[in-house]
Amino acid sequence: MSRVFDAWALPPGFEVPERPDLSFEAGQQTVGYLDADPDWLHGLLDTLCDARTRLLGRTARDIAAALGAVGARFLDPGDSLRAEALELLPAESGLSPQMATVVLDGMAGDWGEERLRVLLAAEFGDDACLDAFVARGWQRSMATGPSLCLQVVSGSVPGVGVTALIRSLLVKSPTLLKPGRGDSVLPVLFASALAEADAELAEALAVVYWPGGSEALEEVALARADTVVAYGGDDVVRSLRDRAPVTTRFVAYHHRVSVGVVGLEGLQEAIAEQSAAALANAVAIFDQRGCVSPQVVYVEEGGEVSPRAFAGLLATSLAALERDLPGGVLDRAEASALHQMRGTAELMAASDRGVEVQHGGDAHWTVIFDLGATHLTACTGRSVQVKPLSDLARLPDLLAPMRAHLQTVGTAGLGDRATALAVRLGRAGVSRVVTFAEVPFPPPWWHHDGGSPLGDLVRWFDLGGV
Amino acid sequence: MTLRERTSPQKAPLGADDLDALVTTLQRRFTERVDTPWGETDFEALALRVFEYQFRHNATYQGFCRGRGASPESVQSWREIPAVPATAFKHLDLVAGSPHGVEAVFHTSGTTRDGGARGRHLVPRLSLYRASLLPPFKAHLLPDRDRIRFVSLIPSPEEQPRSSLSHMVGMAGEAFASEVHWGVDGSGAILREALADAFRSANKSAEPVLLLGTAFAFVHALDQHELGPLPAGSRIMETGGLKGRSRELPAAELRRALSAATGAALDHIVSEYGMTELLSQLYTLVLSERDSGIELVPPPWLRVRALDPTTLEEVAEGSDGLLAFFDLANAGSVSHVLTEDVGSVTRGRVRLAGRFDGAEPRGCSRTMDELMTAAATPQ
Repeated sequence: MSRVFDAWALPPGFEVPERPDLSFEAGQQTVGYLDADPDWLHGLLDTLCDARTRLLGRTARDIAAALGAVGARFLDPGDSLRAEALELLPAESGLSPQMATVVLDGMAGDWGEERLRVLLAAEFGDDACLDAFVARGWQRSMATGPSLCLQVVSGSVPGVGVTALIRSLLVKSPTLLKPGRGDSVLPVLFASALAEADAELAEALAVVYWPGGSEALEEVALARADTVVAYGGDDVVRSLRDRAPVTTRFVAYHHRVSVGVVGLEGLQEAIAEQSAAALANAVAIFDQRGCVSPQVVYVEEGGEVSPRAFAGLLATSLAALERDLPGGVLDRAEASALHQMRGTAELMAASDRGVEVQHGGDAHWTVIFDLGATHLTACTGRSVQVKPLSDLARLPDLLAPMRAHLQTVGTAGLGDRATALAVRLGRAGVSRVVTFAEVPFPPPWWHHDGGSPLGDLVRWFDLGGV
Repeated sequence: MTLRERTSPQKAPLGADDLDALVTTLQRRFTERVDTPWGETDFEALALRVFEYQFRHNATYQGFCRGRGASPESVQSWREIPAVPATAFKHLDLVAGSPHGVEAVFHTSGTTRDGGARGRHLVPRLSLYRASLLPPFKAHLLPDRDRIRFVSLIPSPEEQPRSSLSHMVGMAGEAFASEVHWGVDGSGAILREALADAFRSANKSAEPVLLLGTAFAFVHALDQHELGPLPAGSRIMETGGLKGRSRELPAAELRRALSAATGAALDHIVSEYGMTELLSQLYTLVLSERDSGIELVPPPWLRVRALDPTTLEEVAEGSDGLLAFFDLANAGSVSHVLTEDVGSVTRGRVRLAGRFDGAEPRGCSRTMDELMTAAATPQ
């Protein structure tokens, strides 16, 4: 690809450093980034902080309207912003064009004004608390966002960066977003469109990529932000948290793992195929890069369709999905991991009568049935392990070793046992029990990894009888 | 593609190799000059014999090969022999013949990257390991002398009976050491007194020393200032640079730091590359051929290819790919191993390039096996 995509968006009028840009390859896309130094970054942060006063002068609803207007453009079929996003996303992310469309629709669906208003209401009840003191219980209170929020996204699930910057701007916080290596297109497009639509709001936002671990830059950003939000692997999150001042609020979205469970009602002859298709879709969206993407699915024994037969249906569904939502391009490390996983599974199948492997050859989907206690997952290329489950009630115990990293449990056919099981799963560390259809795109007001997307960013202060 | 087809392992036909016949043949060949590569047909013939043995005596591998449409009857070249992924050693005992008769079981160390999962390599005949490790060790570390004083920062085989590296130092010591000083305990922690004594007595005798250690151990020893000057003619074997557990130092920087601390010339600091899953090792030629020290050379009975990570086709000479090894010394287990290490191959010699980018994972999820293993393994 000859065109370079510049991975930065600065407050209107703020100058780039007087040095040539650097670049890296994200998928098929060359991504340019600024050769920033600490002095330049200090200047940028000064500008962002200056914008806070103007931000505080606006109501949260007004900001939601401005952000929502830009967000809605990504869904408008006739809008040039959507067209540009869809042109750039496949190359940057490695997702197929069809998948990129589904992902954009799913993510941007939450960026419109109406959804943001619901988010504010869900988080604060009366969102006027961000603008003035309001009566809350027995006192009057008010909430304020960070004076400077650093959002660090690593990884390449497209759209995570935009969702991140929307959250902190909604609580009136000047925001510096370091986007993920494979997720710079959407935040940069969003910020540029915001600058056209609402320059005052755009003055409080900067999107600047730098290679993760650039100590001099991160030292400046970590020292000046009063709230840091980190999205990424455990190592990335640990490294940032270790370097942030003790007084800095730190919100961590570290590694997560998600699974699926299919109960007897979902295994009836008439609907098992439907259950498998819904699961296949949940696995395929984001090509399994999302923290919500199931890696292992537990299938209840004793149903009309056996767990082994269900694995076959799942394979059929994943194969069929290749037509409508083709898998994307794996990078070299992912391709290597897939070979290791498939080859090992094939050897295990050759050594054990119970184990079965089905895969798509050049297509990346892989279904492995029953490895006993072994786990063999690649989190890449749509690979799922199907395990028989004799007793649904054992599921929370089976997941217990991963307690600290659990996130979503996707379900089908739990019938009236669903709520009781969800109670136990929640207490075991799971933060979300939903149908397979709901798995890929949580609503904006979800308890993200158990926290509150906006609530975790604000600080409350109370007013007594003065 | 479904792998359901399964047939019972074929009985070895009359006159086919048994392990001891194969081992005898290979051991004889391993005594030949290690600096002269074998011809393609020469290697091919042995590789096909080894494959036939492994196919007939390892039902799991046989099923795997059949699933990929490969059998001794169909395979024309060693390149067509199915390679097993290195990951498989974590989940299966890949041994040809009975797992009960093995003479050693070597465990992999388990790196942070793979979540701490341990693999193991069952070794039916230690004599073949010995035969494959001694000649290259001699050629690349002791081209100029028969014996030398060993100082080892690798734990002794008594302390670490499951470490192939410890066994290697133990066996090399029996063959080539005038005396062996162990400078670390079983956990790899430096024995300060013992190490200081070893350095003192070496300097007193003015006899050259062979100092052995992993890159990790050397970085630690350098940080702790545990390494001092060594007598003239001393040399260093450094191994495992890619899989360092803590602070990773680029290989060239480590070599310079080692040279500065010990006085050993840069052309006396040899890098060795090995893995538990392979019984043969590769070495740089700095000492034996005064080579630049970047390329690793395998012994004639080990062939290396760089493969395209997607198609697994061989890449062009000099291009980076996933390294796949065919090691005749692995006759008792499985010879063809696909690793996740990246490098290029030029005229049979290997240049390591680390691992693919992977600076930042693309997703926010983590593999469940890593998490399960991490939960089961005390940190």
